[in-house]
Amino acid sequence: MSSPRYVVGIDLGTTNCALASLDLATETARVEVDDIAQLVNVGELAARPLLPSFLYLPDDKDFPPGSTRLPWNTDDSAVIGELARRRGAERPGRLVASAKSWLCHSGVDRTAPILPWGSSEDGLRVSPLDASARYLEHMARAWEQQHSGERLCDQDVLVTVPASFDEAARELTLRATAQAGMPSVRLLEEPQAAFYAWLDLAGERWRDRVKVGDLVLVCDVGGGTTDFSLIAVTESEAALALARVAVGDHILLGGDNMDLALARLVQQRLEQAGHKVDAMQLQALWLQCGAAKERLFEEPSLDRQPVTLLGRGSRLVGGTIKGEVLREDLNRVIVEGFFPRVPADAEPARQRRVGLQELGLPYAADPAITRHLARFLMRQASDAPGLDAIRRGHGGLAAPTHVLFNGGVMKAPALRDRVLETLNDWLAAQGCPAIAGDGVLDAPDLDRAVARGAAFYGRARRRNGIRIRGGSPRTYYIGIESAMPAVPGLDAPMKALCVVPFGMEEGTEATIPGREFGLVVGEPAEFRFLSSTVRKHDAVGTLIEDWGDDLLEQEPLEVMLEGQGTAVDQVVPVRLEAKVTEVGTLELWCVSRDGCQRWKLELNIRERDR
Amino acid sequence: MGFAARFSAALRSFFALLFSGRMPDDVLDRFRPAQAAAPAPGAPPPAAPPTDEGDRAVQLLAILQRDGRLVDFLQEDIAAYADAQVGIAVRDVHANCRAALARYLTLEPVCTAAEGTGVAIDAATDPARVKLVGAVSAAARQGIVQHRGWQVARIALPPLPRLEDRRIVAPAEIEVA
Repeated sequence: MSSPRYVVGIDLGTTNCALASLDLATETARVEVDDIAQLVNVGELAARPLLPSFLYLPDDKDFPPGSTRLPWNTDDSAVIGELARRRGAERPGRLVASAKSWLCHSGVDRTAPILPWGSSEDGLRVSPLDASARYLEHMARAWEQQHSGERLCDQDVLVTVPASFDEAARELTLRATAQAGMPSVRLLEEPQAAFYAWLDLAGERWRDRVKVGDLVLVCDVGGGTTDFSLIAVTESEAALALARVAVGDHILLGGDNMDLALARLVQQRLEQAGHKVDAMQLQALWLQCGAAKERLFEEPSLDRQPVTLLGRGSRLVGGTIKGEVLREDLNRVIVEGFFPRVPADAEPARQRRVGLQELGLPYAADPAITRHLARFLMRQASDAPGLDAIRRGHGGLAAPTHVLFNGGVMKAPALRDRVLETLNDWLAAQGCPAIAGDGVLDAPDLDRAVARGAAFYGRARRRNGIRIRGGSPRTYYIGIESAMPAVPGLDAPMKALCVVPFGMEEGTEATIPGREFGLVVGEPAEFRFLSSTVRKHDAVGTLIEDWGDDLLEQEPLEVMLEGQGTAVDQVVPVRLEAKVTEVGTLELWCVSRDGCQRWKLELNIRERDR
Repeated sequence: MGFAARFSAALRSFFALLFSGRMPDDVLDRFRPAQAAAPAPGAPPPAAPPTDEGDRAVQLLAILQRDGRLVDFLQEDIAAYADAQVGIAVRDVHANCRAALARYLTLEPVCTAAEGTGVAIDAATDPARVKLVGAVSAAARQGIVQHRGWQVARIALPPLPRLEDRRIVAPAEIEVA
């Protein structure tokens, strides 16, 4: 590959995608956010700052023939972006939404055509993987239209993923980029990307804002997901260095939930007043409540914001219903409902286990983002190896000194204040100094900071600029059954062998010492695979037995030994090797004793038995 | 006839019909159905025009209806409704039509001076751009701006729909239960 002209950051979001690029040919070039061409109406192409992550699968009843073609594509089997979102509200059975949340949902086969989920319409279906690939492909073509003569696959492309994405979801994201014609991209965690956007903005002055021992909480609340990370300021060769020391679990909770909660409230009120609100009007109400929420948050002097549902027939004036969102609603539903001022030891409510649960996205059972944050900060009990201890209160709370907000929701000053107040309550209770006003690191353009930051990071990587040390975001284990007599009805107790330690750096390898496995040639072998975001001290080869709920089971790993000159059925002793790739994924290999034969373990991302 | 002129004629016709119930004279003259000279014998029949004069006007109406429900509003008999009820609907129609207009065209005043201020006039004052009212005499050199006028500075309408769909302002909507 010839050396790329641009670095391009792609934010492949749950509800919106964004694109930013940086021209490498100019030394002093700044990150440019690229607007994305998309169908905004039937027959109308326009560039918009964000590409809504919606895929609509039309049939011949939807649009006049030829009216949804794109300049780069004669295939009109799917519509992506604003028109998809709008038309999908009218015909939800053909709309694919939140593909990214499905991509990290291990309860379903993410490579099978299962979306639109639960649709009763027959017709085309796509897999979460395909949908993601289509968004990427769309962005690639749109970008190429703006940068004539360049192909996106020839650039240095960074795709961002939530820090909480597990290995399977990262792997699937990479597969989606390959399917979109970009076989060599790198992954970057979104909270880190947001931090890079701040670094880009602050320039060299960033060194004046933080000092060694500081701890930055990145609080990223987007449309569909909430993602936390901790970044520690350390010292390396007498200069400030940065290390990502903790990532949170995946929480399906975001701005869309908030807007819907408001819409439900307004709907209830309208229905009490004798109006009827149908499903399609609820959709309109949802959008309007989102806009009303933003307006009220922006303008603290307003005490109410009207929402109107125009009559659906041509009787416009006669059929119009008026509702309103009051500031009090905002305080009660959004601020107190999603950001309650809870103590630091508050635990989020657990998922209810109902006997028969409709299989769908595993939305967070507790809407309180502050409770999820408390749990995240309380669970960082062990420090990452190779680093100074992170700051901690006397009750064990990881104690940030700075906060960096990201995501559309965090644009609201009232919500930022609430998060800060709550954090300061916790810090005070734990004997730590409060985060002052200058402890809030301001990233610009919260909707697109991630794409910007990714492009900035791409250049920093190429030019040995400042980088956040990250490495593996989790500790990974392989399940080993104990050699104990089997008991009917009980699984043999399992031990977990650490194969990848937390923070294992990109581009490094490790051999798992002291253990050999016998694999049968010609037969598939399966390994149980587990991960932890909180156990950070386990070194490669550590065997653990009792882990409470620190470990999470992942998709199993599979390997099939093809006999190369070896008889089928023969048992081959192998050892395990782990590698964290430059791209940002991990690989596990079985290696024969003589080291001559290697087989890669593959994640089985097909449906898992529940 | 250029697009801007067609657009201006279409828009003026629309509002003239709407508010005074008659077409502007110059438009009537310009677009009188052809008492066309018979084509010279042997000359090929003129090719069908790619866009009819009215297509863009219908398109603009369709956009204002799609985004702001303007046609529904204008076509509805609102005499029976209380002002408050009209007001509720109008706020939305107004906001959405305004946004749609801003998206596809830029309107700016013809006269840059503020209303109520004095401006110079001279022989070169173009009656299409500036309408003089009151005691207009040949010697008049000065006047007070009463209305700044409007003109279209930019227009960028999306491509026209298929030929057969160009009279559709809004499709009928049928919900399948």
